[in-house]
Amino acid sequence: MSENLSALSGRKGLENNLFERMVENAKLTGTPENPKLKALAEEYLMGDAVTYGTASFYDFMKKEHEGVKAHVCNGSACLVAGTQAKVKEKLSNFLKPEEIGYMCCLGRCHENSAFNYSETNYSGDAINHLDEILSNSNPALADNYTVDSNCERVLTDLPMTAEEYKKLFAKVLEKGRDWALEQIKDSKIRGRGGAGFPMHFKLNACRNESSSQKFIVCNADEGDPGAYSDRYLLEMQPMLVLFGIMTAGYIVGANYGAVYIRGEYPESVQVMSEAVAALDSVGMHGENINGTDFSFKFKIIEGAGAYICGEETALLSSLEGQRPEVRVRPPFPAQKGLFDKPTIVNNVETLAAVPWIVKNGGETYSKLGTEKSSGTKLVCLDSYFNKPGMYEVEMGSSFKNLVYELGGGFKEPVKAVHVGGPLGGIVPTHKIDELNVDFESFANAGFLLGHAGIVSVPEKFPMIKYLEHLFEFTADESCGKCFPCSIGSTRGKEMMEKSQNGGPKMDRELLNDLLETLEIGSLCALGGGLPLGIKNALEYFDDELKQYFK
Amino acid sequence: MLETKNIAYINNKPFEYENGEMILSFLRRNMGPEPVPTLCDAPNLEPFGSCRVCSVEVALDKDGSTRVQASCHTPITAGSYIYTHTDKMKRLRKNIVELVLTDYPADKFETDNPKSNELKKVAMGVGLDMAGVRYSPGENHFHRNGDSSHPYMRSHLASCINCFRCVRACDEVQGEMVLTMEGRGFDSKIVKGMGQNFMESDCVSCGACSQACPTGAISDVFESKTNDADATTRTVCTYCGVGCNLDVATKNGEIISITAPYDAEVNQGHTCLKGRYAFKFYDHHERLRSPMIRKNGNLEEVSWDEAYSFMVDKMNSVKSEFGPDAIAGISSARCTNEENYLMQKFIRAVIGTNNIDCCARVCHSPTALGMQRSFGTGAATNSVKDIKYTDCMLIIGANPTDAHPVTGAKMKQAAMKGVTMIVIDPREIELARYAEHFLQLRPGTNVALLNMMLYYIVSEGLEDKQFIETRTEGYDDFVRGIKALDIDKMEEITGVEREKVKAAAIAYATAPNAMSFHGLGVTEHSQGTFTVQQIADLAMITGNIGRPGVGVNPLRGQNNVQGAADMGAQPHQGAGYLDVTNPQINQLYIDFYKADVPMRSGWKIPEMFDAAIAGKLKVMWIIGEDVVQTDPNTNKVIKALSNLDMLVVQELFMTETAAMADVVLPGASFLEKSGTFTNGERRIQRVKAVVDPIPGAKADGQIVVDVMQRMDYDQPDYAPDTMLEEISQIVPFFKGVKWDELGDNGKQWPVPEDGSSSEIIHIEEFKRGKGKFFYHDWRESAEIVEHGDEFPYIITTNRELEHYNCGAMTRRTGNGEILTEDILLINPKDAADNGIKDGDMTCVISARGKVDIKARLTDEVKPGVMSTTFHFPEIMVNIITSDVHDSEAKCPEYKVVAVKIRKSKGEKRILAEEHGKELVGV
Repeated sequence: MSENLSALSGRKGLENNLFERMVENAKLTGTPENPKLKALAEEYLMGDAVTYGTASFYDFMKKEHEGVKAHVCNGSACLVAGTQAKVKEKLSNFLKPEEIGYMCCLGRCHENSAFNYSETNYSGDAINHLDEILSNSNPALADNYTVDSNCERVLTDLPMTAEEYKKLFAKVLEKGRDWALEQIKDSKIRGRGGAGFPMHFKLNACRNESSSQKFIVCNADEGDPGAYSDRYLLEMQPMLVLFGIMTAGYIVGANYGAVYIRGEYPESVQVMSEAVAALDSVGMHGENINGTDFSFKFKIIEGAGAYICGEETALLSSLEGQRPEVRVRPPFPAQKGLFDKPTIVNNVETLAAVPWIVKNGGETYSKLGTEKSSGTKLVCLDSYFNKPGMYEVEMGSSFKNLVYELGGGFKEPVKAVHVGGPLGGIVPTHKIDELNVDFESFANAGFLLGHAGIVSVPEKFPMIKYLEHLFEFTADESCGKCFPCSIGSTRGKEMMEKSQNGGPKMDRELLNDLLETLEIGSLCALGGGLPLGIKNALEYFDDELKQYFK
Repeated sequence: MLETKNIAYINNKPFEYENGEMILSFLRRNMGPEPVPTLCDAPNLEPFGSCRVCSVEVALDKDGSTRVQASCHTPITAGSYIYTHTDKMKRLRKNIVELVLTDYPADKFETDNPKSNELKKVAMGVGLDMAGVRYSPGENHFHRNGDSSHPYMRSHLASCINCFRCVRACDEVQGEMVLTMEGRGFDSKIVKGMGQNFMESDCVSCGACSQACPTGAISDVFESKTNDADATTRTVCTYCGVGCNLDVATKNGEIISITAPYDAEVNQGHTCLKGRYAFKFYDHHERLRSPMIRKNGNLEEVSWDEAYSFMVDKMNSVKSEFGPDAIAGISSARCTNEENYLMQKFIRAVIGTNNIDCCARVCHSPTALGMQRSFGTGAATNSVKDIKYTDCMLIIGANPTDAHPVTGAKMKQAAMKGVTMIVIDPREIELARYAEHFLQLRPGTNVALLNMMLYYIVSEGLEDKQFIETRTEGYDDFVRGIKALDIDKMEEITGVEREKVKAAAIAYATAPNAMSFHGLGVTEHSQGTFTVQQIADLAMITGNIGRPGVGVNPLRGQNNVQGAADMGAQPHQGAGYLDVTNPQINQLYIDFYKADVPMRSGWKIPEMFDAAIAGKLKVMWIIGEDVVQTDPNTNKVIKALSNLDMLVVQELFMTETAAMADVVLPGASFLEKSGTFTNGERRIQRVKAVVDPIPGAKADGQIVVDVMQRMDYDQPDYAPDTMLEEISQIVPFFKGVKWDELGDNGKQWPVPEDGSSSEIIHIEEFKRGKGKFFYHDWRESAEIVEHGDEFPYIITTNRELEHYNCGAMTRRTGNGEILTEDILLINPKDAADNGIKDGDMTCVISARGKVDIKARLTDEVKPGVMSTTFHFPEIMVNIITSDVHDSEAKCPEYKVVAVKIRKSKGEKRILAEEHGKELVGV
């Protein structure tokens, strides 16, 4: 993180965004050409090393990405489903090996066989229609998944129209900023991104900062393999998300809202852009929203393949065109965020709840869920469930009910469910009964609700392979800044790998030391969160794993 | 009592912390410099949090549950309990370092010196060596190649630990952003530019990265961080008026490297490639190692005795035959205060004339005069550190990132972060890119442009009326002139749109604190002194005087040009700026020097040359100044020097001037002698001999003393402490200066008897009582009036980062490989009009002569304007520069030279030092 780069990038801001221009350049051949990067650096008054270093960070911008046309999903759900070798093989019939890359993950965990070709995602049966896809005949191959709920539909009701948006936001404008903030506070809603931080704290802190410029950033970099709830909201409920952003902007006095959508979700980028255009057409975007003195502009920014950008400070650096290495805190984004200005960073699901809250009142919302975890939660179930899909459940509701009733139980024997992404806990099947869907229940039992994506680990899938996958994921996605994560994830991956392949078996003390080092030594939750699932597995699957230890 | 304050506990003991303090700083203040190990932390960098070995456990209550926090970037919570060395923390540190060692070459680790290699030191501190690494060998980066493309910079990334210190130093200290990380995670690696080597990249070789690296992975040819020096001497750089402190490392009496001390108030661990790397001139084989006398047309080595006798005999006979005014001296702004004092004392008290001057004449004499007229003191009103406190920087006629690199880097840092900057310059200098306001005026129109700014401040009603009323005089006359300005005409003259000038004027006037910096682009003009007075007007009319972050701040050129003038190396003022024509002052000097001192002003340098040509001046003694290469109108200078009966040149090298001398005396470099330099912010700092003078050379001060003694003046041998004591008795603002009390960071004058230092002057009132406003009309330079029709282009001269003045020192170091020649910057339009392509040799012709120089096409200069440097004797750009001088201070107008151009085949000059005096200037 460089204060200089934040300020220099901030001179052109979101309107003429450095990162966006780099990504645009990368799309031509898969990587931005050096002369282009140099010209951009010059235009933004930076050294050419800056744009070069930034581009090299991202999967879809680095030099090795040149000429890559198709990406095979290598996320956890597709891994355990075992579908990807076949996907790659089929793609190889049409493409050269160097034209096939990877993406992690496409959010098609409900039907797997996921791949991306020419800015479109495919999954399920689509791989069997490759000739149509490659011949550009635009086959109707969109995925389908169950969306259901057994509670008040805060997030999964009929999509909001631009007109409904306008009407509801008129209410917010009429009632005023204080009222809106009060509703958020009364709702007791906590951030859905994983940390569970009360939303109104940030809003209040940012509102109290005196700055002529402030920003709202929607973290739509849903990178946890197994989670596709943000994708659902972005593609099916775009108005809810935009409404939340604009309301936050209105409360804190920001005039810009950036939606940072991961590059792995091209459809989300498109739908959100269309939604902004729809708002524009009803006078709900830009100068003088609804004829008031409140002005607000959205900026949709597409990511370029880096899980770490889901970490809020890395996301801010990414938006500035810096290398998305995790920043130290303080300063917190609410004080010094995007371009060093006070900034709110909220997750998609958090922001999407705002329309319901302002419509029904914060207090009403707070009555949903539990005392400490109010509201509802979206939970994603992968293809090992009989009814894979996206479910909205009340916080505090029975996990067992979710798994066995809503999800219909498992198609085949499953030994554990990995909840909350790669940094979440590995819940052995017998523990499912003991849990409720809320932050506290999972934490108290030694797990993590996180973003609540669920990946099933079937009986047949070796746990050691799954743990190796988790280390490998972290090693691939580590930003490289802090020593524990950047070196430790690689060493952990090597230990796991060697112990299976005839190399030295693992030293239990060394692995414990490594896990502790990652957990307490890492700068952010990537290195810090990895050990949780590993430790769960070591505790609950010792019988299976002990053969790999000395 | 403890409860009421900011208290936190370190290992259960209470200590007071400062608001906003990070835990690491708190620990250091209370436990000593290394309370916990660190790898990514560095004194001049922002907390970064990558290595994590500084982690500590923190509890909110005594014996409460703890959290692990990196101490470098975690602020202290009131009443918290910090535990630095629990088993858990010791284990964590050891486990992190173990991970680092899995990717560190074992053979290197074995030979690393824990005194200079921070990784080895930290590893040993946590009780770990290579044998203690438990991981079986895995992926590593030992194969990464070294980079030795550059004369100075080196990298060996196999031993890089990815702490980002170099990347941060390049960004946060120098602001160059040449270094970055490539890739991500375990495989991320440091790259230069776009994956280039050091030489291909935009690296400015400041060495901040090398000094920052904990393992020597980024280093330099001198291995400054890791060599096994046996001694270090702190001294002050010779290369510019910034006055960087340097730690010079020696081994067996030889200088092996230079680093910058972090506790230096001037440069905080930073310096530039001249200060850090360009020291190898000091024992270069071309150093003069013996006195020489011209015999039968050739310079022959002689003994010191013979040289002294020859000089003394000649001076005595000239003095008796033509009087003392037939003798003149030029003292050196590269020499110490004490040496300058001695030289002027010799000329005044021993010879008996005021014919003493120094290079300030050709650079900042208008600053001294102009600021004396406006404020009463001819020196910076504020300090460089005020950049931290200012809201607006006005940079006029200066290119600090090249000529004052450390100050320039600070300005660039501030501008990048958004501090308002106004750049007024004919050339688009580096800082202009970052400046909110860039006024690219035609050379020679400073007065017109500043009058426009003053006009808009008045017309917009932005004057500080209270300041004007209480602290100044002459405002009414001044403002009458300003109000009568014809803005249409001014706009046309300057070539800058009025709206731009107005916006800049408003920015300057409305900033809570605005400070100005100026350089030779202000002074080296026919209206140089007037321009300085206008800059003073700007500060006074807006009340920007007497507090942090404001003021008028000349960027002094040579390292001790401030001191040379302070010490009296000028013909109209003696030591301490006292008027030599004042009878009382004259008596003071007579009493103090115990000698008859004349009361008439002496000749300024250009007047000396005129007098020599006229046959009135017979003897010149020039110390450390290559007037042939650097003074304007070379042919005239050569004519003047040729006409002397005796030219004595005291030098390090056989410069163009030395090659013309009758007597050559080998002086000593700044590394070989002691004394004090005074930097551009009036800071008197100690220069300490790092090594003895090379055999055959002598400290310049001792040479002067030797001659004084031989001319029967009772002057003790040269020693900085006793000399300083003598100076403190005659220079009023040195009254409290004592060698032993100057410490590492010196003191800023005025230093009263109590020994206190002055960061800011004119706080309550100006030195002259009230500040005085002056209005002056703009006038076209005589150069343009007389020659503009025949010579339609204007060439203006400047400096490049790599070289210093005539380049005698820097060309004899690795800098000479980085920048190899003077270049003509020319706008593509002018080039096209004259059929010149990039890289073509171009003949540049003025009324004085012509030079051939390689053209570089650039938009840095507007059509009609060109720019070049005079660092190289092969080009001798001053053959063409003009003979016009500042009307007041006689500073030459290097910045406005009327020329015409044509494409040429172009042959380089033959060096004087290679072919002798008779070839010079042909």
